Amino acid sequence: MKIVINRDQLMQSIQNVMRAISPKTTIPILSGMKLEANEEEVKLTGSDSDITIESIIPKEEDGIVHIHEVIPGKVVVQAKFLPDIIKKLPEDLVEIEADGELNITIRSGKAEFTLNGQDPEEYPQLPVLQTENSFQIQTDLLKTLIRQTNFAVSTSETRPILTGVHFKLENDQLELVATDSHRLASRKIAMNEETDSLSFKNIVIPGKSLGELNKILDDSQDSIQISVSDNQILFRTKHLFFLSRLLDGNYPETSRLIPEQSKTEVKVDSKELMQTIDRASLLAKDNRNNIVKLETKENNAIEISSNSPEIGTAEEVLNTNEISGEELKISFNAKYMIDALRAIDAEEIKIQFTGAMRPFIIEPLDEGEQILQLITPVRTY
Amino acid sequence: MGKGRIIFHVDMNSFYASVETAYRPELKGKPVAIAGDPEKRKGIIVTCNYEARAKGVKTTMPLWQAYDICPNLIALKPNFNRYREASQHMFAILSEVTPFVQPISIDEGYMDLTDYSGEYSPLQLAEWIQQRLVDELDLPSSIGIAPNKFLAKMASDMKKPLGITVLRKREIQEKLWPLPIGEMYGVGKKTEEKLTQINIETIGDLAKLNVLTLKNLLGVNGERLHLRANGIDNSEVDPEAINEFKSIGNSQTFPFDTTDSNEIQQMLSQLCQSVADRMKAKQVVSENIQIMIRYHDRKTITRSRQLRDFVEHKDQINQIVLDLFYSHWNEEPIRLLGVTAQHLSHKEEVSKQLDLFNYEQEAEKEPLYNAIEQIEGKYGKEVFVNLSGYEQPKVKTSFQKDFLSNNQRKK
Repeated sequence: MKIVINRDQLMQSIQNVMRAISPKTTIPILSGMKLEANEEEVKLTGSDSDITIESIIPKEEDGIVHIHEVIPGKVVVQAKFLPDIIKKLPEDLVEIEADGELNITIRSGKAEFTLNGQDPEEYPQLPVLQTENSFQIQTDLLKTLIRQTNFAVSTSETRPILTGVHFKLENDQLELVATDSHRLASRKIAMNEETDSLSFKNIVIPGKSLGELNKILDDSQDSIQISVSDNQILFRTKHLFFLSRLLDGNYPETSRLIPEQSKTEVKVDSKELMQTIDRASLLAKDNRNNIVKLETKENNAIEISSNSPEIGTAEEVLNTNEISGEELKISFNAKYMIDALRAIDAEEIKIQFTGAMRPFIIEPLDEGEQILQLITPVRTY
Repeated sequence: MGKGRIIFHVDMNSFYASVETAYRPELKGKPVAIAGDPEKRKGIIVTCNYEARAKGVKTTMPLWQAYDICPNLIALKPNFNRYREASQHMFAILSEVTPFVQPISIDEGYMDLTDYSGEYSPLQLAEWIQQRLVDELDLPSSIGIAPNKFLAKMASDMKKPLGITVLRKREIQEKLWPLPIGEMYGVGKKTEEKLTQINIETIGDLAKLNVLTLKNLLGVNGERLHLRANGIDNSEVDPEAINEFKSIGNSQTFPFDTTDSNEIQQMLSQLCQSVADRMKAKQVVSENIQIMIRYHDRKTITRSRQLRDFVEHKDQINQIVLDLFYSHWNEEPIRLLGVTAQHLSHKEEVSKQLDLFNYEQEAEKEPLYNAIEQIEGKYGKEVFVNLSGYEQPKVKTSFQKDFLSNNQRKK
């Protein structure tokens, strides 16, 4: 195998593929990256057996030549040093050559590296996803959906299913839900007609996979194809395959967790609330639950306060746009609130409380976007 | 601290044995000892009265040995509830005199009488306290009167039983310095060994020693001991000190060294239960659990785990303890096991993040919490006492201080 390729293009692909490669893998060959060259393209593959990423560099795209010379073939190269080597090469063109003995030579200008390769035949075959369940959405929209939900997945393995984001497609509506059992993030979007006959649920994608996917994808309006099978999901753009395993188990029914009535409703400027809570929580950051207290006051005001026994107290009154219903005093984790407000990203929000011991809902006042954040309060003894 | 302080140290004489004698007057004048389980090898003398001491019976002596030297010894099992009750009564009497009472264990405490403005002189007051303890509880005590805690403590030791000793600072050369160093409060076995190695035999020797030499030998404690030997101790009588505890632990010896998983698990389960009960009694939660394994050859290891959440219930503790145990047990025969809950916090200082999937359990009680809060807002925090704090009869403990905490926290 031999290729002569633009360094920048190669570097970009390597960085993407590296996201799937774990230095701690138990399968030695997976610490390597597979390079495959044919007359049309070069394909790089990395995998940690949970996530597999393939990045394709076409020979030529939009009149720009990426690959200048090809002798088809394939080889597996140690991934650990590859990004640094390529990044630090002196020239814009890189030559990679593998001989029959699996010796890999990387040349650029007068620099030359020789690396020991591994047999590509030993590299696990990528599972071929057999499914009819495919649909498309815009890449930047998918990124937004991930950003609005993925932060709420659990980082604890006590309930493994909660470490993923639940995807559900039903009645032309796609819903993503994540919860760590303390807070819940939900986002729905209407799908176009193409998904007519398609529906699935209990598709739970590891939060880590979505995090990596989000980093690799560009904010583009191109569409991305999503294909779902029983145990895997494939995200596919023109030059990228991103395959992730799904989490085993049944995702809990979350719709019943969302309170249907509220006793106190507060409408408030999102940014002001976020900044107030951020300030109040300055002294609370060291304590376990980062607790701030919200108390309704007269004249549509709320008081946000925090109290850290050995440090001090913080207090701030914030004018809201409207408060209706019962008086309320409630304590919650400031970080959860800030996360939720960031995810919603609206000018004005409404919060619906049903009592100091019950979860409360945060939604944008403008109902154009179907996003809902749910936070369970903290009980102070 | 301009003027001289007046500090009392009240020390009950052979407390457990005295309490037993008070309950059973027919035991008066006979040698009485309190011992752990007499049938098993942990049966050692916990305490004994003066009649038994006169025959040579000593604390920590194995029971069989005590019987050898004092065949008519009456050995009784400890009855902790009785002692706790007597202790509470005793501190109640002390608290009548002044609110500045610092219990240091179940049967002794300091009082600060500097600001006492009654009609009695300190000596008369001490006599009055001693007499009331006899009249109401039939219990003998010794009282030390001095300008600070250390001297008061040393003074109460000077005349037992039923002594009252005044130790003035100017008297220390005559009364304190001749005492062997091992009798100094704050000098334990280890410290005593170190000090005798550099030829310190008496408290006077220590007082005259160069501070730096002591500091090098014993660290900060050396400096403190030096001050005390010279009659200086500025520490305050702190009624709250007893509440500042850091851990709750229980340990127990097997009747026979064992490798039997069933026995071990059963013992660990019991220990966890005791620890959980005591945590409940004190209304605390823990975020660090430690186990102790002592092997047949007395080699002892402790292993602990820092937790992400607070634990309080037996099952939670037991699960962690089992996990710790099986990750660290080298399968050799075990003599003793211990379980300790560390990094404790009072429940009221701790919050609980509710869970989406089971918050209903807490939410159900919300009307109750609201009512409590309203009433407390009106009448103050004291109106409600958590009854769970009083479920104490089963609590077993190795630390005497425990018995007091209930009394103290009630206010």
